[in-house]
Amino acid sequence: MSIKHIAGALSLSLALGLAACGGDDSSSSDAGDNQSKPTSGSSATKTDGPVKIAFSAPGADHGWMAAITENARNEAEKLGDVELKVAEGVTDSAAQADQVETLIAGKPDALVILPNEPDALMPVAQKAMAAGIPVIDIDREFTEQGAFRSLITGDNYGIGYQAGNYFADQLKCSGNVVEIQGIAGIPVTEQRSQGFSDALKRKCQDGVKIVASQPADFVPDKGLSVMENILQAQKDIDAVYTHDDDMAEGVVSAIQNAGREDEMFLTGAGGSKAAMDQIKKGGLYRATFLYNPSMSASAIRMARKIVRGEGFEDLTEPEVPQKITVPATTVTKENVDDVQELGF
Amino acid sequence: MSTTDAAPEEGRSLPLPKPKGRIQLQEYALVGVVALILIVGAILEPDSFLTSDNMLNVLRQASVVGVLAIGMTFVIATGGIDLSVGSMVACAAVAGGQLADSGSMAFVLGALAMGLVLGGINASAIAFGRVVPFIATLAMFTMARGLALWLSDKTPVSLFSLDGVRWFGNGEVIGIPSAAIVFLAITAFAWVLLNRTRYGRYVVATGGNREAARIAGVKVPWIVFSVYVITGICAAIAAILVSGRLASASPIIGNLYELDAIAAVVIGGSALQGGRATIVGTFLGVITFALIFNLLTLMDLAVEIQQITKGLIILAAVLVQRKER
Repeated sequence: MSIKHIAGALSLSLALGLAACGGDDSSSSDAGDNQSKPTSGSSATKTDGPVKIAFSAPGADHGWMAAITENARNEAEKLGDVELKVAEGVTDSAAQADQVETLIAGKPDALVILPNEPDALMPVAQKAMAAGIPVIDIDREFTEQGAFRSLITGDNYGIGYQAGNYFADQLKCSGNVVEIQGIAGIPVTEQRSQGFSDALKRKCQDGVKIVASQPADFVPDKGLSVMENILQAQKDIDAVYTHDDDMAEGVVSAIQNAGREDEMFLTGAGGSKAAMDQIKKGGLYRATFLYNPSMSASAIRMARKIVRGEGFEDLTEPEVPQKITVPATTVTKENVDDVQELGF
Repeated sequence: MSTTDAAPEEGRSLPLPKPKGRIQLQEYALVGVVALILIVGAILEPDSFLTSDNMLNVLRQASVVGVLAIGMTFVIATGGIDLSVGSMVACAAVAGGQLADSGSMAFVLGALAMGLVLGGINASAIAFGRVVPFIATLAMFTMARGLALWLSDKTPVSLFSLDGVRWFGNGEVIGIPSAAIVFLAITAFAWVLLNRTRYGRYVVATGGNREAARIAGVKVPWIVFSVYVITGICAAIAAILVSGRLASASPIIGNLYELDAIAAVVIGGSALQGGRATIVGTFLGVITFALIFNLLTLMDLAVEIQQITKGLIILAAVLVQRKER
């Protein structure tokens, strides 16, 4: 677990283009380190007693989302001086808004939230900020600056872009590619798709053709059926780009059931343990691109720092940055051992 | 127990109506729809659509929702609904997955046992607890999904080494996919059960006019009980088929299968208010949707076009139903 945490901090600092902060901000260090630096946020600095953090995320109906909540829980436990109140399990935005209202009523020191839909959750986030509760926004960005104190997010466009570059290199700019998308019409899917085609265009012009592009809703059974059909239509496929590791499992089964695993390679996205195991083994599953759920653990740390009125030790600024982007690292057989601890 | 609103109309107050005659036209209409899709597909995708390989692929894909739709036909025949079948598929798959270390037979038995238990809970709540089917199965919809995530610790179990389970996914008998054989066998069995046995007539009578059925000596609560057990078992069978194809037992599968199953039953010509049911219609309904999904994916059409097409077909089928009255 500690390796996971250090690696999490490492990927953060990579995003910032800085050296790792060394992970020396454990609970003991800030008990003595009370020269509380002022924050730009509205909340008062709290230097004694446990930090009460309220946490809200949509229902864990998916491996990635499950890891988000679990990582937050583990991080709070590890820090020792954090009291975490978790509300999860709802699947619609109105219900999440209600949950957050309830959480705010408990007067936490900070609110860490992964909004189901940013637009729908923005009013309650603003309400929390107005009440002096700093909001740390994970993954999905509130469009109003005033709705959050800090944002930590992955790089969906980056996933597509890295994947595009990887495909261009592997295929030497020529071949037929199939794209299995997530849920149609949501920003995650659009960005992962756009980044992919942009990178392919830039590197290869029209050398690599996307011969089929269909959504499979991030679930394995849909991935299976969609890929089975595409395999019927496309007799010559060189590679498959999927938007998600869980969904990719179904796509892999379809290709294996058809006995065509030697014809092509496949990549996922997210960074699940199962995907990393297969990448290690070699064969069909060639790479995945991290969209790391460790960001919720980092969000808990950010919340704690903000409440304590501290910044990150290795930044010159005395407060926690407003926006942090976790990079979409390409994971292949070469570096899978380095990142395996981050798998979920 | 009062009669349903729909029941007293026309000649359906007879205790044991024969579900014949009026549904036939629609069955023929659906045969026409299927033929039309086949012709259009053959023209638009001459290389890949009407090949035996692809047709067997469609049959294999149709088998999962198909088995659910056959079970759903019995529930709908009694005027009920089962919104929990998709979640029960996930839960049964996960239950089997827990026993995956003990081999394929343990997986199959585990899945079937979970399907029976969950179906039994639905059945008891509806038949004896007098909970409205919509509500009882809505509760199960969320409970079974939660149970699936909880039991699995939110991670799928690999079934890669279980050849027995995987046979249901990618095995075949004389060139026909095993999943398709399971689906066809269940369809044939269900047809006999619904059309040629006293039990089948009781199921339809219960949906047609519950009070009249009761007076005629039908043990209505037990008939209602039985149909929800049937959907539970069908969910378990569907779970075995889909897990075999995926080579894994995942808690996030089965999403919205209930709506696909209900849509297939409805366009097949069974009446949502009960009292009228057709297995042949349901079969054709399942095949219709599977063919459309297949063809539109082959053509690489945008998902919005697929959704609109599917919606139009549901609407058109129900309008045909209205005209027949």
